[in-house]
Amino acid sequence: MRLRLAAGEGFSPPTTEFFWQPLVGDGAFAFTRPMLLMVLSVAVIAPVMVFVAKRMQVVPSKGQFLTEGTYNFVRNSVGKDMIGAKEFRPFIPLLFTQFLLILVNNLFEIIPLLQFPTFSRIGFPVALTLVVFAVYHVVGMRRHGVGGYFKRMVPPGVPGWIVPLIFFLELITYFVTRPVTLALRLMANMFAGTLLLVVFALGGEYMLLEGSNLFVRVASLGSFALFVIMTFFEILVGFLQAYVFVLLTAFYIADSLAEEH
Amino acid sequence: MPNALTAAVRAPEAESVWTSPILPQPGELIVGLIAFGILYWVIAKLVVPRFEETYAQRTAAIEGGMEQAEKAQAEAEAALREYQAQLAEARAEAGRIREEARSEGAAILAEMREKASADAARITEAAHKQITAERQQAVIQLRSEVGRLATDLASRIVGESLQDDARQQRVIERFLSELETADPNQVRTVATPATEGS
Amino acid sequence: MTGNLNVIGYGLAAIGPAIAVGLIFAAYISGVARQPESRGMLQPIAILGFALAEALALFGLVLAFIL
Repeated sequence: MRLRLAAGEGFSPPTTEFFWQPLVGDGAFAFTRPMLLMVLSVAVIAPVMVFVAKRMQVVPSKGQFLTEGTYNFVRNSVGKDMIGAKEFRPFIPLLFTQFLLILVNNLFEIIPLLQFPTFSRIGFPVALTLVVFAVYHVVGMRRHGVGGYFKRMVPPGVPGWIVPLIFFLELITYFVTRPVTLALRLMANMFAGTLLLVVFALGGEYMLLEGSNLFVRVASLGSFALFVIMTFFEILVGFLQAYVFVLLTAFYIADSLAEEH
Repeated sequence: MPNALTAAVRAPEAESVWTSPILPQPGELIVGLIAFGILYWVIAKLVVPRFEETYAQRTAAIEGGMEQAEKAQAEAEAALREYQAQLAEARAEAGRIREEARSEGAAILAEMREKASADAARITEAAHKQITAERQQAVIQLRSEVGRLATDLASRIVGESLQDDARQQRVIERFLSELETADPNQVRTVATPATEGS
Repeated sequence: MTGNLNVIGYGLAAIGPAIAVGLIFAAYISGVARQPESRGMLQPIAILGFALAEALALFGLVLAFIL
């Protein structure tokens, strides 16, 4: 697609190739920019969390208050409310780790110089989803036994002839729909948001530098303004997606633990 | 920071299968798993226990504080009740004292009145007694006087000396007893015939 | 003008989930407006419904890239 606003070769919009940024090497095991960001995020989160935890006080300081607010949100609003007050405790570290990792990496999308959402590369959401997938199946099978786990997928009181159909649909839900959508939702949101930001940035730059007349050059301001607005919108999306991911994780775990589906 | 982005985009890219947005690159998958594992270990071992501990401590502290506040409130209420009881007691005592004073005053008044009336009665009695005594005296005096006069008169009329004491006394006694038994109105009438008779 | 017909297909496929998500949040907002104290209870339900509806759009996205 070429836009004819200038005399030159025209504007080439960013494609999915933008997200493939190998730094060292190439191919399946290349060290990429999102890998660096992922390592950076762990290197930031872990020391900060340990530092805050070491200096925990009953009466919180400002920094502790912020961290603790996040922790209490994940612990109570997500874990306790979804899984239930009796059984949510073993899952707190899982939910909290997920939330922190996703939130920080999503915010990398709009931090200058970093400016790349790690989770827009499908590999990372899939990694988190594999963990969730394993956790909710293992927890469910441990609670109900392997046979019981599959048995309870079909709700009681269903007419006999429809049971296979429902069982098949539930099987797809448990083993395909849930993990696939969980990973894709996160990836697609970050991917689309970043693409939008890149389009506005590149488009603005192109219009400013190579516009054929003054009007086009001035109009680039609109593009940059939208870039700024979308940046703030992406902060919101970053928080929301982290919340949705842990909420769904908690929901899947709660569903596997529940007596009846 | 459009420039950082554009620089990355404009860099010449080798055509690669990993540009596909939905094909997980194994390297990234592995790095993601390892990163998650490390962070999970740190959070689960070092962070969450501390947070939970503080959480429990704070809950305990808040509950303790509430307990303390409740205790203080109960104490304040008890003090208030005591104070009110004391106040009521003081009021009752004041009322009682006032009542006592009033009744005492009334008693004093009654006593005074009684005393005054007793005094009055006593004075009246004394006056009565005096009057009686005086009257008695007067009667006695009168009696002797009358007797003497009568005797004088009689001796003068009779011409006979009635100086004989014994007789004289007898006459007087008889006369007076007649006088006394008779009606005061008849005294004169009786006296007159007696005088005439004698 | 060059382009990919898949993208148009994906745009059409996204209409359905878009309406669904709109309906879910409309119901959530009116529910909270009627009973503000029910917010805490409705929020996870609304997000779950949103996630389920969005799954359809996500499948569309995958197909747009695969086909």
